[in-house]
Amino acid sequence: MQTTVDARTGRNVVEMSWDPITRIIGNLGIYTKIDFDNREVVECKSTSSLFRGYSVFMRGKDPRDAGFITSRICGICGDNHTTCSVYAQNMAYGIKMPILAEHIFNLGEAAEYMFDHSIFQDNLVFVDFCEKMVKETNPSLLDKANRTPAPNAHRHNHKTIGDIMRSFNPFEGEVYKEALQMSRVTREMFCLMEGRHVHPSTLYPGGTGTVATPQVFSDYLVRLLKFIDFAKRAVPLNDDIFNFFYEALPGYEDVGKRRILLGCWGSFQDPDIVDYRYEHMTEWGRAMKVTPGIVVDGELITTDLVDINLGIRILLGSSYYDDWTEEETFVKEDPLGNPVDKRHPWNQTTLPRPQKRDLKNGGNYSWVMSPRWLWKKTGEHLALDTGGGPLARLWATALAGLVDTPYVRSTGSSVIINLPKTISSGETQLEWKVPRWANTIERDRARAYFIAYAAAMAMHFVERALERVYRGDVKTFEDFKVPDDAIGCGFHEAVRGVLSHHLVIRDGKIANYHPYPPTPWNASPRDHFGTPGPYEDAVQGLKIFEENGPDNFKGIDIMRTVRSFDPCLPCGVHMFDGRGARVLEQWHSPMLGTPQK
Amino acid sequence: MEVIGNVRVARRDINPKAPAHSPGVREGNQRTSMIREPGIKRLSRFMAVATARRSTGVNPRARTPIDPRMPVLTPP
Repeated sequence: MQTTVDARTGRNVVEMSWDPITRIIGNLGIYTKIDFDNREVVECKSTSSLFRGYSVFMRGKDPRDAGFITSRICGICGDNHTTCSVYAQNMAYGIKMPILAEHIFNLGEAAEYMFDHSIFQDNLVFVDFCEKMVKETNPSLLDKANRTPAPNAHRHNHKTIGDIMRSFNPFEGEVYKEALQMSRVTREMFCLMEGRHVHPSTLYPGGTGTVATPQVFSDYLVRLLKFIDFAKRAVPLNDDIFNFFYEALPGYEDVGKRRILLGCWGSFQDPDIVDYRYEHMTEWGRAMKVTPGIVVDGELITTDLVDINLGIRILLGSSYYDDWTEEETFVKEDPLGNPVDKRHPWNQTTLPRPQKRDLKNGGNYSWVMSPRWLWKKTGEHLALDTGGGPLARLWATALAGLVDTPYVRSTGSSVIINLPKTISSGETQLEWKVPRWANTIERDRARAYFIAYAAAMAMHFVERALERVYRGDVKTFEDFKVPDDAIGCGFHEAVRGVLSHHLVIRDGKIANYHPYPPTPWNASPRDHFGTPGPYEDAVQGLKIFEENGPDNFKGIDIMRTVRSFDPCLPCGVHMFDGRGARVLEQWHSPMLGTPQK
Repeated sequence: MEVIGNVRVARRDINPKAPAHSPGVREGNQRTSMIREPGIKRLSRFMAVATARRSTGVNPRARTPIDPRMPVLTPP
């Protein structure tokens, strides 16, 4: 661990790196320069060393396969990709899905949010907050925790904050073990609706193959109520631990804080309003039960999906790709006549250029590109982040004030969530208020509240779906024909945030396909303007609260910050590093027995 | 060997225009369901609804339920 003098700022810094980072999904490396004298992180670079090439090999494929292929981008949010691909294909083929199909999609996605957020929060993030970790990094904090009573002890049955920390201990703690049980329950809910987790077998453009019987929805409802019981205890528990961190470590608001630049592309379509036509995208976007929106410095600047679509720009600057300015422009104008930029995903061509990582001289250091959103008003290319997913969703929904259902209501400055009566408690109302900062703690807190949000919306959808089934509705699929030339775009919220699939069909085959999951937005490196990506921005300038010196430094504050974004690097990079891989022996080609040429 | 962008991709196993349907496997949404399938009642040329027979394979009268509302068979 050498202390060197940083050329730019003249401070004594130690270079420390975490590569690969554990307890996230995929390959992520964080390279930092830390000034231990002032206990601050001076510089941060976020790198990823994996490339897979979806936007390369999707070209030339049958568009109906897109949902199944893109599902394999990720092993935990693959269904979000299938859903988004189905939305993009619905737009391209001109289909309106039957109402029951929309409900089934929404219920499946709600189950996915409940599954993923609870397993990530309780089994992966909370290991950073558990008693064993805090004992090694902040022993004085643990002493204080053992003496502080938990304000919501009557709701979650943990007397002190120290008890809460002990129940986060991996494999031994109560919360840890209960979350594992809940992950099974929510996975079952998901499989009831979408056939198989993670790669759904019953979602297609045009609808679903799930047979909509009362049995399916009742099974879902039983498990949902079991889960809501857990959620009603989890949210106050999260509040307690996070409020304790604010009180016991004054200044913790600055850990992971960055400028409020949040993007949410909306989720949970309203079956009565959505028709997947680009011309009406503004209306059905605003009717979604998680409102799409972009929040800049605490203000909601748009909820219009057409605006959001046209503002997406994919920049390069520190990524291992060649620029595509000389390549073909697939889409000059969108269906409403607005011009589409060359740097928009519809017109992108991925030209990977593998090279050595160069962290020092302003060279390229990551396989992740730099998606940015162009704000017409100021001409800035904003490095939006998703706050891990839930923060952006709740913030945009709260400010928009459009969602109004008996279970979830947005008030303009908060979101009110009503959960029904369950086994261990009566009806409960939870309220998520818009926080003052976008920092580590608020991202983690929003995740707990979003679990309750998804559960409440699932109640709403189950009731609507059962009403339709009781009236005899059976239709879950709409027939369609694939056109020869079409374009489509799907906007959805993956678990970790914004997800968009842009699709161009020529001659009945895919000519261009670009999925943009949340992690390219979050893990993006510096673009050619020099704007750092969200991880880099959040970690740079971070104050260190850990009590260890440089020798046994764990970097727990940095790790808490990075994990609060819920990184998912298989989604972050569409690339696989295969230099000259040879096919040794081909055993089986799964082509459904059709004759091979 | 095909080149997409600047990447050489391998030879494809199957032509994308090959048929997606294997003959003999019946597809959903077919019109004969409206005419033939038990539990589906045809209302008009394009509209069909489910009857109580579709929702369960249990014959409630044979089980002498204690409450006339049980089991809930849809639609009424």
